[in-house]
Amino acid sequence: MKIVILGAGQVGASVAESLVSEHNDLTVVDLDATRLRALQDRLDLRTVTGSASHPSVLVEAGIEDADLLVAVTQSDETNLVACKIASRLFNVPRRIARVRATDFLNDEKVLGPEGFEVDLSICPEQVLTDYIVKLVEFPEALQVLDFAGGRVSLVAVRAYRGGPLVGHPIRDLRQHIPGVDTRVVAIFRKDAAVAPDGNTAIEANDEVFCLAATKDIRQVMRELRRMDQPVRRVMIAGGGNIGLRLARALEDDYSVRIIDHNKRRCEMLAAKLDRALVLNGDGTDEELLEQESIGEMDLFVAVTNDDENNIMSSLLAKRLGARRVVALINRRSYVDLLQGAQIDIAISPAQATIGKLLAHVRRGDVVAVHSLRRGAAEALEAVVHGDRDSCRLTGRRIEEIELPPGTNIGAIVRGEEVLMAHHDTRILAEDHVIVFVTDKKILPRVEKLFQVGARFL
Amino acid sequence: MNLVAKLLPPGNVVLDLPVSSKKRLFEQIGLLFENHHGIARNLVFDSLFDRERLGSTGLGQGIAIPHGRIKGLKDALGAFVRLAQPVPFDAPDGKPVSLVFTLLVPEQATEKHLQILSELAQMFSDRDLRDALAGAPDAGTLHRLISAWQPDAAGPRQAAA
Repeated sequence: MKIVILGAGQVGASVAESLVSEHNDLTVVDLDATRLRALQDRLDLRTVTGSASHPSVLVEAGIEDADLLVAVTQSDETNLVACKIASRLFNVPRRIARVRATDFLNDEKVLGPEGFEVDLSICPEQVLTDYIVKLVEFPEALQVLDFAGGRVSLVAVRAYRGGPLVGHPIRDLRQHIPGVDTRVVAIFRKDAAVAPDGNTAIEANDEVFCLAATKDIRQVMRELRRMDQPVRRVMIAGGGNIGLRLARALEDDYSVRIIDHNKRRCEMLAAKLDRALVLNGDGTDEELLEQESIGEMDLFVAVTNDDENNIMSSLLAKRLGARRVVALINRRSYVDLLQGAQIDIAISPAQATIGKLLAHVRRGDVVAVHSLRRGAAEALEAVVHGDRDSCRLTGRRIEEIELPPGTNIGAIVRGEEVLMAHHDTRILAEDHVIVFVTDKKILPRVEKLFQVGARFL
Repeated sequence: MNLVAKLLPPGNVVLDLPVSSKKRLFEQIGLLFENHHGIARNLVFDSLFDRERLGSTGLGQGIAIPHGRIKGLKDALGAFVRLAQPVPFDAPDGKPVSLVFTLLVPEQATEKHLQILSELAQMFSDRDLRDALAGAPDAGTLHRLISAWQPDAAGPRQAAA
């Protein structure tokens, strides 16, 4: 596929990185030549320096041949204009834009066919807010992801010594919760994937990925980890776009404190928030944290735009007694360094964001993609089409399907019904199938499974 | 006369079209159907791309049979394009494509349309025909080759399959 990416920032670079290995033809456009050079040194792609919404620059980037435009520059306006131009002048079949301002998102007409002709808009701040809200709702989880319009959930939990499931084979799970069907789709032990079957015993510190119908997810989680105390008090460091969205999403149900160092920003926050307590100060100020009873916080979230600040304030909060700390960290190497150590959850904004976009790039009728474990693994939902002849999945029982190693079919959604995948479950046309892939290198083979043959009409 | 020949007017055979990508090829095909049959080019373009998303219509050996459903279309329509330069098509054998037969069918596709696709696949699995199509000097010859092809005379390769 020929793809033009506008913007070589965090998101642009992450998108490029996750696509470049898959036989795609990529061109990245940015104003900053140094940034582009850094990207080109690392990845096999073309770059064009210039203003991303200018037709001449787009032509230079090969827009006339492009199958997909991904507009993820810092500027909403540039992204929107680029989509419009790509559609009107160059007939690019699919266009994705990063759009931050809610003003643009409020009215469908702005982005729709009469407007800027954006097929898919991505708002990273919203994606991250949803991510963190899930962590507040499920304090046991490392991550909670939705599939099939929210009917199926994938949860990642860390097994800990003394937990109910540690030391037991997975099949015991069924005996513990007889009425509930769930599937462990992946286990990561010391960063290596373990292929789980019914006899696999879960060890302490394993990262366990589990699929279940959303209505059952609390029960499943209770089985995997002793129920943690529900969250009541949350402290947010950083009152930027994410901090504000998060405070708004949480303030009605939780006790929320939000810290920002900028006095005027604080005034704005106070005006926009009804219940949350706005504090003017620094998230790394020990005295302030103590004064605001950091030790009683169930969750501390550091979401400033500065990695180092987020790391330092969350480490400090942890040491001062906050039960769980979450930090937003842009730099990949920092994420790897810190996740699971003193910081409970390190979120990479770019990684969290690109899933939605990947759904448009994967071959086959892919509905949703979640990029996991810093992009190394992926969970995807795709619709099966065709019949036994034109598709390798349709009409077959799971045990009949030749799955590449490291691939696990977890669940099937048929209309309203959620089926956990068992060896004798038969896949039918139009089923939504949820697959976990532990190593992104095998993705091309997984994509092939979902593709129909040339003769499918 | 085979099924394919019936839906391929001689004017819908284009020789040595210079395009640099699948996208530009579909644009040109859209244009052809708009000019010859009054079907909006974007309708054709979108329909072909939507189908391609479910899986490539590349057959291998440099052949592709892109197809799509068109709302309001009464009868199936075809177009055959030989490209000046092969373009990447995501085909099962990974080879770029240079012979392209496009098929448009009504929204309510029937068994007959599946048969047409099946006949196309059979036709292009005939190596002698492929070679002849690749070497034909003009559009008229191309059209005659396709019209003259007989499903049951497809050669030993086909019989074995």
